[in-house]
Amino acid sequence: MSNLATLRVDGPIARLVINRPDARNALSIELLGALHDRLDELTHTHAGAHVLVISGAGKAFCAGMDLKQIVGDAALAGRLLSGLGDLTTKIRRLPLTVLGAVNGPAIGGGCGIVTVCDLAITFADNKMGFPEVDLGICPAVVAPWLVRKVGPGRARQILLTGGLMSGAEALAHGIVTQCVPTLADLEPAVEAMATRLAAGGPAAMRATKSLLNELDGSMDDAILREAAAISASIVGSPETQATLKARLKA
Amino acid sequence: MPDAPPPITTHFDGPVAILGLNRPDKRNAQTPELLADLVAAAVALPESCRAVVLTGHGAVFCAGFDMRLVHDDPDALPRLLRGLSTAVRTFKRLPVPVVAAAHGAAVAGGCALLAAADVVVTNRHARLGYPVVRLGISPAVNAGALRRTITDGATRERALDPDLISGVEAARIGLAHHCLDQPHAVLPTAIGLAHHLASKPPHAVAATKRLMLRLDGLDSDGPFDLGLAASLALAGSPEQRDRVAALWSAGDSRR
Repeated sequence: MSNLATLRVDGPIARLVINRPDARNALSIELLGALHDRLDELTHTHAGAHVLVISGAGKAFCAGMDLKQIVGDAALAGRLLSGLGDLTTKIRRLPLTVLGAVNGPAIGGGCGIVTVCDLAITFADNKMGFPEVDLGICPAVVAPWLVRKVGPGRARQILLTGGLMSGAEALAHGIVTQCVPTLADLEPAVEAMATRLAAGGPAAMRATKSLLNELDGSMDDAILREAAAISASIVGSPETQATLKARLKA
Repeated sequence: MPDAPPPITTHFDGPVAILGLNRPDKRNAQTPELLADLVAAAVALPESCRAVVLTGHGAVFCAGFDMRLVHDDPDALPRLLRGLSTAVRTFKRLPVPVVAAAHGAAVAGGCALLAAADVVVTNRHARLGYPVVRLGISPAVNAGALRRTITDGATRERALDPDLISGVEAARIGLAHHCLDQPHAVLPTAIGLAHHLASKPPHAVAATKRLMLRLDGLDSDGPFDLGLAASLALAGSPEQRDRVAALWSAGDSRR
């Protein structure tokens, strides 16, 4: 079994760790596969858990797509993007309340994972954001989730501006629920919130999340498939491939 | 036995109607009768009324459903959910602006009324939120309206996290629009705002409110019905009954 993603279940609280610290938890096709497997395991064999905490091993939460895998191989890039799209959908539709413990940089697809969590906590000087446009990439897979999270006006500003923001700015934008002063404050805040969420009625929370998913378009598969296709076609373009190659050499 | 005081009071200050939740000794907890009277008071507003202030008598705005009633009568929760849903639809669809004055706590069904208002005034000490999943109750009934007041993301956070937030945090996420320093300033400020709104040409105000409803998708009953059905589906569930029963068996004095 791949240990690129680990799952631990402790009563009502499950913990999923993105575990590729030597690559800042960048999303490779193998890592995406491991995350899918752990989430399937969670829904199939741990019915008692109703809160899921997602964090990253080491210093990063998730540095985004593994750029090495999206350069040169258009088919692999397409699989990566649809794999990310499917992962975000799977997280959103879990019958558990999902809390992102954003323990370090959450960039691009990594920030997309934060966005799709029901709640998220980070610290003030963390680095987060969607720098896709800076790399010639269209952040199509994360865009529908960001629109649902923060509203279309803010999402437009964030995605078209690109670049990175601090944890404090992520709170101001509504990407995270709570922002603690320093990294050292994160774990206690995450534990407090996870404990609080675990005290809620599991059936009530499941029903509430399911209704919210229905109201905000989270059950719409067509837009996500279309988004992954748009993103793949832009990634495959010669301009973007040249930008990415230059970036990898730098 | 003296007549029970009316659960809703209506006062007029010129063109402004002030509706008050009036069960101060029960923290203005909602009963089916209170919610029905609230709707009746809104529907009965005269043509001359140009703005509404919604407030609560006593120290809190509204503590939500009367949980003693939910505990004692299995029919109470469905009736309360239907009553709340009707009240929110009614206020959302009033042709005149609605200003909520949350000088004190607005919890669960009480906080739901804030999402039915156009403008919410609160203060930094007030505690607001929807902590009902703790009781095995889904706040879905209010999600359709709440997600149009704050973002979908913030709706998800507030609906799933059973914590209460301060007036400051409520203003940050857009659940409140004015956060004052002192509770006693809330009602006079809300009445002042209502007079200001009442001074605008009523046909333009009404047309704008209608348009906003349409843009929000709340001119139809669909989103309201969906949320109500989700909350009703859980009413009387073993989880809900056990958790509400535990409120009393533990000698909990929160309600």
